[in-house]
Amino acid sequence: MSRDEVYERLNEVFRDVFDDESITVNDATTSDDIEDWDSLEHINLIAAVEQEFGIKFNMGQVVTMKNVGEMADIILAQTGA
Amino acid sequence: MGITSFYFLCFFSIILLLYYIIPRKCQWGLLLLCSAAYYLVSGSGLLILYPIVSVTACYIGIRLLEAAPPELVRRRRAVLVGTVLVNIGILVVLKYVNFGIYTIDGIAALFGSRRPLIESVDFLVPLGVSFYTFSLLGYVIDVYYGIAAPQQNYLKLMLYGLYFPAVISGPILKYREHGEQFFEPHPFDYVRVTRGLQRMLWGFFKKLVIAERLGTMVDTVYGGYADYPGAFIWFATVCYAFQLYTDFSGCMDIVLGISESFGILLPENFRTPFLSRSVAEYWRRWHITLGVWMKEYVFYPVLRTRFFTDLNRRWKERFGRKRGKQYATFAAMFLLWLTVGIWHGGDWKFVIGSGLLHWFYIVMEELLAPPCARLMERWHINAGGRPVGVVRIVRTFFLVCIGDLFFRAASVGDAFAMLKGAVTVWNPHILWDGSLLGLGLDAGELVIAAGALLLLCGISLMQDRKGSVRELIAARALPIRWAVWYALIFAVILFGCYGPGYSAGEFIYQGF
Repeated sequence: MSRDEVYERLNEVFRDVFDDESITVNDATTSDDIEDWDSLEHINLIAAVEQEFGIKFNMGQVVTMKNVGEMADIILAQTGA
Repeated sequence: MGITSFYFLCFFSIILLLYYIIPRKCQWGLLLLCSAAYYLVSGSGLLILYPIVSVTACYIGIRLLEAAPPELVRRRRAVLVGTVLVNIGILVVLKYVNFGIYTIDGIAALFGSRRPLIESVDFLVPLGVSFYTFSLLGYVIDVYYGIAAPQQNYLKLMLYGLYFPAVISGPILKYREHGEQFFEPHPFDYVRVTRGLQRMLWGFFKKLVIAERLGTMVDTVYGGYADYPGAFIWFATVCYAFQLYTDFSGCMDIVLGISESFGILLPENFRTPFLSRSVAEYWRRWHITLGVWMKEYVFYPVLRTRFFTDLNRRWKERFGRKRGKQYATFAAMFLLWLTVGIWHGGDWKFVIGSGLLHWFYIVMEELLAPPCARLMERWHINAGGRPVGVVRIVRTFFLVCIGDLFFRAASVGDAFAMLKGAVTVWNPHILWDGSLLGLGLDAGELVIAAGALLLLCGISLMQDRKGSVRELIAARALPIRWAVWYALIFAVILFGCYGPGYSAGEFIYQGF
């Protein structure tokens, strides 16, 4: 899976979780860029990403992830792409 | 030895002098010695053994985690659970055994038992047990997750756990972000040291000029609320909200100021919380380090348990995707707020006042947000406008005050009696007919308290809009800078509550 494909699927997950079809994420996207991305939604987002890619983030990754770029890195590493 | 006492200022001055005289590689050793000395002379004596046991358990846990590679999942988990149990066990025995006993006896009394089923036990609680336990446990969990490097020096870990300013009332530290600073060499930096002292001064102002005065009136009303009904209770509760804030944030200013003068930058615990527009926002701005700790080590792990994952799925099927997700989150939040309430102390007044009541507020805010938005749209009210913002700030402050009433009352029963007294008696005239002068402060003292509160509000607004006020003052010309800081020094000297025959009360959060 290429990074572009990861982002294509991440965009769908973000749009679904935050109920906003206009969302497009990139490496630099953080919780500051998406209005409803607070600590409550963060965990729902993590669960949705895990389900979409069939992976599991550990708690350390969940609390230290700084932007979507880091999320994409972990997805690529875990899916072996 | 309270940190607003003259003896503490002497103690701190000597440490600061030595800190920059001795070789830099010995600085952390000095801080460790002083932390142990502070713990011993602060009335804790042999109770220092408790933090030593906690640090030792965490050190062993960390070394065992270091020795176990990630593949040994079960062994690593057993080490983590063992370390957590030792530390939480100590905390529970010291702080919550009587909570359980009183609750059992209370239930027994409801069923007609005239004598307590179990006698309460008196434990001497070591200073800052809730704070150092959480700082240490957070570190062990981070090592388990692999996001913090294991500390191999036992004495360095001891300093992290026992660091004397933070052991008083926090902040709760996060080793992966702040730990290494304790052990780095810190050359003398005039700007950093003076900024630290300036911050301490502002903390003294909050505690000695505002909190102590407000505390006098609060004690009068809460100590005899039957004689002070109606507006007295509302007035005293608003005073208590400000007392609690100036006491706790004043302590934090002193603690962070001391640390800054050592070159150690600790995490902020407050961000003008009374300007919050919702209770959820309030908790992102009040006791921030506790909120972050609870989020990372309680709320997230709970939500990721199989039980909550299944609950989430089942409720999504039953109530729809959005509602189901929301209800599962509310259920996890209940556990979170129960833990926050219990953290504050083994008493139902804390469980309600700083826990479950706030859970109820946040759930209602979430549930009522869509209908409120629709209503405002129908009435053509600009939800983002300033008037609505002010109403939201006042509403949030009012809700927080109700929680504070439970927090301050002697018991839950007293809190309900006070609420009844507050709403059943209409006497707003006491606010201007001189009755307030019977609450322990004369007219001059009241004017000083009001003036200091106005200054606090002004500074808070500046902080909210323009950031650090110290930075703004530092950018001014020299005469203005000196005039401001000298005015503050004289304000503390002239208007502060201290001196022979007067002992400033302990910090409220020191009891936790």
